[in-house]
Amino acid sequence: MAKLLEMPKLSPTMEEGQIASWSKKEGDAVAVDDLLAEVETDKATMEFRSFDKGTLLKILAPAGTVVKLGQPVAIIGEKGEDISALAGSAGGGDAPKTEAKGDAKPVKTGKAKDDDAPDEAARNTPKSEKKPDAEAEAAENDEGEDHDDDGEDDANEEPEVDAKPKAAKPSEVAPQPADAASSRGSDGRLKASPYVRKIAREQGLSLEGLAGTGPHGRIIARDLEGAKAPPRRASTPSVAGKSAPSSGTSMASSVEPEKRPLSMMRKAIARRLTESKQTVPHFYLSIDVDADPLHALREQVNADLAAMGEKAPVVKLSFNDIIVKAVAIALVQVPTCNAQFTPDAILIHRRVDISVAVAVDDGLVTPVVRDADKKSVAAIATEIRELAGRAKAKKLKPEEMSNGTFSISNLGMYGIDDFAAVINPPEGAILAIGQVRREPVVRGDAIVPGRRLGMTLSCDHRVVDGAVGATFLKALRGLLEHPSPILLL
Amino acid sequence: MSALRYREAIRAGMSEEMERDDRVFVIGEEVGHYQGAYKVTEGMLEKFGAKRVVDTPITESGFTGIAIGAAMVGLRPIVEYMTWNFSAVAFDQILNNAAKVRQMSGGQLNVPLVLRAPNGSARQVGSQHSHSMEHFYTHIPGLKCVAPATPADAKGLIKTAIRDDDPVLYFESETLYSIKGEVPDDPEITVPFGVARVAREGAGVTIIAWSRMVHVALEAAEKLAAEGIEAEVIDLRSLRPLDEEAIIKSVKKTHRAVVAYEGFPYGGVGAEIVDRIQRLAFDDLDAPVLRVTTRDVPMPYNAKLEQLVIPQAAGIIDAVKQVSYRS
Repeated sequence: MAKLLEMPKLSPTMEEGQIASWSKKEGDAVAVDDLLAEVETDKATMEFRSFDKGTLLKILAPAGTVVKLGQPVAIIGEKGEDISALAGSAGGGDAPKTEAKGDAKPVKTGKAKDDDAPDEAARNTPKSEKKPDAEAEAAENDEGEDHDDDGEDDANEEPEVDAKPKAAKPSEVAPQPADAASSRGSDGRLKASPYVRKIAREQGLSLEGLAGTGPHGRIIARDLEGAKAPPRRASTPSVAGKSAPSSGTSMASSVEPEKRPLSMMRKAIARRLTESKQTVPHFYLSIDVDADPLHALREQVNADLAAMGEKAPVVKLSFNDIIVKAVAIALVQVPTCNAQFTPDAILIHRRVDISVAVAVDDGLVTPVVRDADKKSVAAIATEIRELAGRAKAKKLKPEEMSNGTFSISNLGMYGIDDFAAVINPPEGAILAIGQVRREPVVRGDAIVPGRRLGMTLSCDHRVVDGAVGATFLKALRGLLEHPSPILLL
Repeated sequence: MSALRYREAIRAGMSEEMERDDRVFVIGEEVGHYQGAYKVTEGMLEKFGAKRVVDTPITESGFTGIAIGAAMVGLRPIVEYMTWNFSAVAFDQILNNAAKVRQMSGGQLNVPLVLRAPNGSARQVGSQHSHSMEHFYTHIPGLKCVAPATPADAKGLIKTAIRDDDPVLYFESETLYSIKGEVPDDPEITVPFGVARVAREGAGVTIIAWSRMVHVALEAAEKLAAEGIEAEVIDLRSLRPLDEEAIIKSVKKTHRAVVAYEGFPYGGVGAEIVDRIQRLAFDDLDAPVLRVTTRDVPMPYNAKLEQLVIPQAAGIIDAVKQVSYRS
């Protein structure tokens, strides 16, 4: 029996995924656990492996398509099997592409759509309690197990939710179109909630061309928010077409901005940082430390490392590597700065896991150096290089970027003197590091050439009060200005 | 107002009505000398005497029949079952006599009868003693069914039930007997049938519940509020007659609904409510109506499994997020 493969949940916070590339072509044989496709999630590029054995009969979501969780991406089954019903029912997804290629197979769409009837029985049996994303969860949790299409494996489900539109499985599935051209299924029926239709009737809105964000591309009330203002002037065709060419150009500004679609990562950044700035009460503490001892130590260590040649544990230390270790030691000394707010209690972490912001193409990620207080500077340096390398290749796993206890962001290499960073929730603080500046400093009674390093701690005032943040920065300043313990602890 | 426990509120309601009307009496297993299996009738034998608080043998069919006969000739009996599960033994009396006599006698006889007992899950009482029997009885024309969630409603509804001239089935909950609440002292304050109560106001989603599940729904609503979803919780109080108007009014405001109740998912009161919503508020729905129910299995005895089978706040939250299109 051919079946639809749906977008699985590949990270805990994933809501949609972009097919980065297909590893199988239509017609390829597929074994259980074969790599089907790479999927870009909000966190990383993940592998989408098969739970089924068979032949990849049809790709419904070509590379580049953004697909919501639980919506179909492909059809798998026996070679030569008739998949017209399935393809027809899932048609919304490939409709735009198919038309473009002009290979619209004679799919019995009308029939395929009217197939609510056979499913009706299933809908009324208790078995139909399965919810669409339970499948994805199950898929995630029961890796390797044969995936039963029958929906009985609801062990991961909340017990009592029933009458979920699993009923709506193959029969009604119309994946959200990649380019969200419309919410029409293959039968041409527009999917919109009754409430949306009522509003449209009352306000004379056209639902045509609206992208539905509900299940199966259904247009739901919130999708109308942007659509309310302009009534359908444009769709009164002949008039606009004939008499308005000049007024059309005069109305719109002629230079349109370049429009870059939001990547998964950009959406995640936008969501998380907005949430942080809107819900976390930030305040900022800045210090400027004497960086001459740190500079001297680094010069000495790097010269010694160079002399060790092949035997050196690491090629070279950066200021950042040393600062990460210094921060880890300071957090052990002032654990109240290594804390997290929850509605019930403040959590003081007993681990020092430092998130290090790494710029990548089109954004940034924060891989975590675990137990940084227990690792040598050389080990930290090696680990950061390795994590940053994989971050730039988008090969980090979600768990390598989550559950940090404190963040460090360093823009020194871009010539920034000092800046304030946005807290990375649920962490309680983030330290922003500037560059080591050469400037005249006062030593004794003389002005001499020296080095200074500015840094700003952004604190969540619900957990870290001013005095606590200042105590932490005092400990950090002590370490950076007398840095040998950083190598010893 | 007095702060009473749910069981005390039922007792207060029954006692007031027995003082007001000497045709009212209580009959059932252990209601007298043992002071009630769940102490609802505690002290009533002493107060009203053995003629009006009648202990019976373990014969639900027999004493239900006696009560129906008594009601037909002018008394107003209150039958207590140890739990609603045991009413199954008397099902024929309820279905074919209590519910039918008025129609079959062409209106010459009526049956002013109250049947009451704890209903639904308790703690580890096994599959045979955990049924939600309101789903069986609301099916039958001729029977009225009420299920209070608070002490105030427990008192107000038992009084209305006793004063009603037709058979009324009154569903309590073992897990609610000890909850306390403010209860009106005035013996003339009653709660009418067919009028729901808005237990919490909100504009984001309508959660419909009754009996114990009202409290679970309120717990879910509290957590949902922390996530920015304001749930309106409707406590039906009365299952038949049903306050359709209150349900539809709320759904027209929120455009989405979840029905949360104890009972199996196939059919039942919840399915009835979903039918009314889709029929009467079709144009106002932004999402399919979901139900959160007991799972479709006999109740396990194992305490952990039992909790998995009974509907919980987490399940309501999950369903609310689905109908709100929030993941």
